[in-house]
Amino acid sequence: MEAKDLYIKPGNQERGWNDPPQFSYGLQTAAQGAPKRTPLNKRVPPPQLTGSPCPVPGDFPSLTAPMTPPTNPLAPPCSMNTPPRPCPVAAPPLAGVMMMATPPPPFPVVEHTDSASSQSENEPDVDDVVTLLNWALTACRHTVKKQVCNDVAKRLKLFEDMWKSGKLSLPVRRRMNGLVQELKSCNWDAADEIHRALIVDHVNEVGQWMVGVKRLIAETRNLNPDLLHTQEVDQSLDTSSTGNSD
Amino acid sequence: MATYQEFIQQNEDRDGVRFSWNLWPSSRLEATRLVVPVSCLFTPLKERPDLPPVQYEPVLCSRANCKAVLNPLCQVDYRAKIWACNFCFQRNPFPPSYAGISDVNQPAELMPQFSTIEYIVQRGPPNPLIFLYVVDTCLEEEDLQALKESLQMSLSLLPPNALVGLITFGRMVQVHELSCEGIAKSYVFRGTKELSSKQIQEMLGLTNPSASGPQGRPAAPQDPAVTCRFLQPVHKVDMNLTDLLGELQRDPWPVPQGKRPLRSTGIALSIAVGLLEGTFPNTGARVMMFMGGPPTQGPGMVVGDELKTPIRSWHDITKDNARHLKKATKYYDALANRAAVNGHSIDIYACALDQTGLLEMKCLSNLTGGHIAMGDSFNTSLFKQTFQRVFSKDHNGEFRMAFGGTLEVSTSRELKVSGAIGPCVSLNAKGPCISENEVGVGGTTQWKICSLSPSTTLVLYFEVVNQHNAPIPQGGRGAVQFVTQYQHSNTQRRIRVTTVARNWADAQSQIQHIESSFDQEASAVIMARLGVFRAESEEGPDVLRWLDRQLIRLCQKFGQFNKDDPTSFKLSESLSLYPQFMFHLRRSPFLQVFNNSPDECSYYRHHFVCQNLTQSLIMIQPILYSYSFHGPPEPVLLDSGSILPDRILLMDTFFQLVIYHGETIAQWRKAGYQEQPEYENFKHLLVAPVDDAQEILQTRFPMPRYIDTEHGGSQARFLLSKVNPSQTHNNLYSWGQVIQCSIHSSKRKLRTSFYVQ
Repeated sequence: MEAKDLYIKPGNQERGWNDPPQFSYGLQTAAQGAPKRTPLNKRVPPPQLTGSPCPVPGDFPSLTAPMTPPTNPLAPPCSMNTPPRPCPVAAPPLAGVMMMATPPPPFPVVEHTDSASSQSENEPDVDDVVTLLNWALTACRHTVKKQVCNDVAKRLKLFEDMWKSGKLSLPVRRRMNGLVQELKSCNWDAADEIHRALIVDHVNEVGQWMVGVKRLIAETRNLNPDLLHTQEVDQSLDTSSTGNSD
Repeated sequence: MATYQEFIQQNEDRDGVRFSWNLWPSSRLEATRLVVPVSCLFTPLKERPDLPPVQYEPVLCSRANCKAVLNPLCQVDYRAKIWACNFCFQRNPFPPSYAGISDVNQPAELMPQFSTIEYIVQRGPPNPLIFLYVVDTCLEEEDLQALKESLQMSLSLLPPNALVGLITFGRMVQVHELSCEGIAKSYVFRGTKELSSKQIQEMLGLTNPSASGPQGRPAAPQDPAVTCRFLQPVHKVDMNLTDLLGELQRDPWPVPQGKRPLRSTGIALSIAVGLLEGTFPNTGARVMMFMGGPPTQGPGMVVGDELKTPIRSWHDITKDNARHLKKATKYYDALANRAAVNGHSIDIYACALDQTGLLEMKCLSNLTGGHIAMGDSFNTSLFKQTFQRVFSKDHNGEFRMAFGGTLEVSTSRELKVSGAIGPCVSLNAKGPCISENEVGVGGTTQWKICSLSPSTTLVLYFEVVNQHNAPIPQGGRGAVQFVTQYQHSNTQRRIRVTTVARNWADAQSQIQHIESSFDQEASAVIMARLGVFRAESEEGPDVLRWLDRQLIRLCQKFGQFNKDDPTSFKLSESLSLYPQFMFHLRRSPFLQVFNNSPDECSYYRHHFVCQNLTQSLIMIQPILYSYSFHGPPEPVLLDSGSILPDRILLMDTFFQLVIYHGETIAQWRKAGYQEQPEYENFKHLLVAPVDDAQEILQTRFPMPRYIDTEHGGSQARFLLSKVNPSQTHNNLYSWGQVIQCSIHSSKRKLRTSFYVQ
């Protein structure tokens, strides 16, 4: 899971009051079982009951730093003049995570801001991706029911069309490239995980065709491995004939 | 020597058990004088990543009305290969497979560190998990689209071999056939006509097995997964179902001006329950109901279709002006019990701006261990993420949900079981350990919990039955055993056995030891659940009076004070937080209903009676942390005195996460100091509570609301309504004030009697 795939989007404040932010699939799965940095589970007993002196937060301990730089009496304690605040936490757990420290004005979803950089060398090639998918599908046609293969093919075609007509965002294209690479290397679980992450994070883009990819992974992993190796040899010869014919 | 705090924590970590008292009073009379009953919170499937399950059957006591499981408290004669049950003292021979055991070669279940142990057992062929979606189509277009996408997404999250089904409803109810080929078919039912389970099964073609046998020969027993066209394996029908979901339309019946859509929720649920009853009784199954408004038609309707008649409020209910309430509640109660008997759980995902009838329908989830999620729209992060988290996996990559649970409790003879409060139903199992005094779901030592998660927690109430002045039982310890049988999400059948013991103590001579063994956190939740249970059937003010009386009695018993001097009142450390918990409990939405709608109240109470101790405590008394330049984040009193201009407060109420910026902080933020490099520490300060809130947001189920507010902001009311509104810092929690606001003025007598003692 790349750092780019660990992100937070704002909630839908138009439809739900105080809608919480939305975490990407990668961030949610990473958080499961991870120890908390600051477990927020302590309470303070009221002072009278224990007879101890009142630890009222209002009693300021004498400040060790001047409150403001000389020119502006209304500013917060300046970094350079205050003693360094003891850092209560370790480094943020995940690199590249985007934070919102202020109430977010409506801003576009993170992954759509990269249209300017889409021409970089990160841009995957649609034909490479489609070829690999078709390679797997062809291998399946030997043993898997025709109806199922045709259904899968239909969805792969839809995926290809959407890509070519610019309807898929860069993260989807990029991650699909990653998925087919895992498929090629027979890393079924990894491919499956990418499909799950994609459908959770981008259901509106991938919802119609991703189930075909899901099925493709499921069927391909059950194939006799020899079948796949044979396909590798045929792959370079067999580019367009495996598509559906209807 | 470990402190009680450490002892309590270690026991919870290992066994998922927290007792109100960790030293037990040795007589019934003394137990009642302690006010808080001997009781415990129990989390049957507490996550134990370090506990490897064993792959053999548990060894049971052979006495017919005992059947306790071999455990570390049993006496063992390794030479004669005999063990003595610690509950009934029956001597049992070990099974032949244990021939090789000795005191240096003990089986795991005898070792003290395995006070909790899990067995994987074979009980016939593994049954697949079943997920039946029941979907309301009377939604706005945007909502329906979002819901459809979430459902399509969920097909990728389901366990691959699970069976899945789809029922859609609006004015009519449609049961969809999920065949893999050909034209999609569905069976349509009228939304107004109540049908019996048998009729539903007949109409769906599920009750004629001879029809599937070829040429008049008796039908060969078939795999139900094959014969039930409505519940098919996900891996076979995922593509078709994705298309089917994608093509779902809004309910086609036009809704006239001034009217609500006709929603036949009652019939839809009855068909769902009947379908599962007829095809997969006694198998783990989840009905997941998604609704965007209240039932307005047919049995179980909660409100009529005229918009000018609003859905019942608390005012209507107290004035006995809620027309449909009793009938609808009875209807859903009957459905809930049928589902529970079959081990099927029902989830409700209700997303609408107005109430949807959770008050009437809550028993569907409460009795079966199902979830309730409440949101404003299906097109919100709150719903989408909550729904995703239903399918969350643990560190082993396995689903956290478990099905078909039964819990059986055994106790040593000095204790009896009064009952349980939590998401369960009684199995009406009679036995020697049952107390006549019922508390919660009583009259049994076995309960059914149709669906469980690692945080599902029951509270079990016990009664000490030893007579006053009877000698302390031999061995000095009482024991309780919890046996939970369930279906793991990987379809294995498992049995988890937890056996715990605590020392008996003579309350006359050892009251201080008993006092220091008090677990105030557990007791707060235990009493709170009792209060909430009572609130369902008693008048609100009566429950508050009862709660106040219990608090006063406890303080009278254990408080140290000088007569006529309220400021001298002190409680020992083991009780010091307890009054605060009770204070916040009586102000909480669980017991103060008038600030929330009936549906909201039902929602909050539902979560309260199934969560574990930490989360339940947060609900009773929200956590408040203060962030400032003066040091690391620190917990502060949930009091208005903690709200200061130069602090940021993070409040966690379980259902909401509130970040509140004090006046000065808000001004600095508005002025943009965090953008300037020399004020980077201010930027860090602003980010710190957001990061901590994020950790909670990433894992909590259900997803909480997230509120970022500041001094003077309208959303600040979430914080202000929770804090104790003390006037000054000096008389914080002065007892005179607390008792005054805790007790109704009509009960002056209670206050007087307290001070006189």
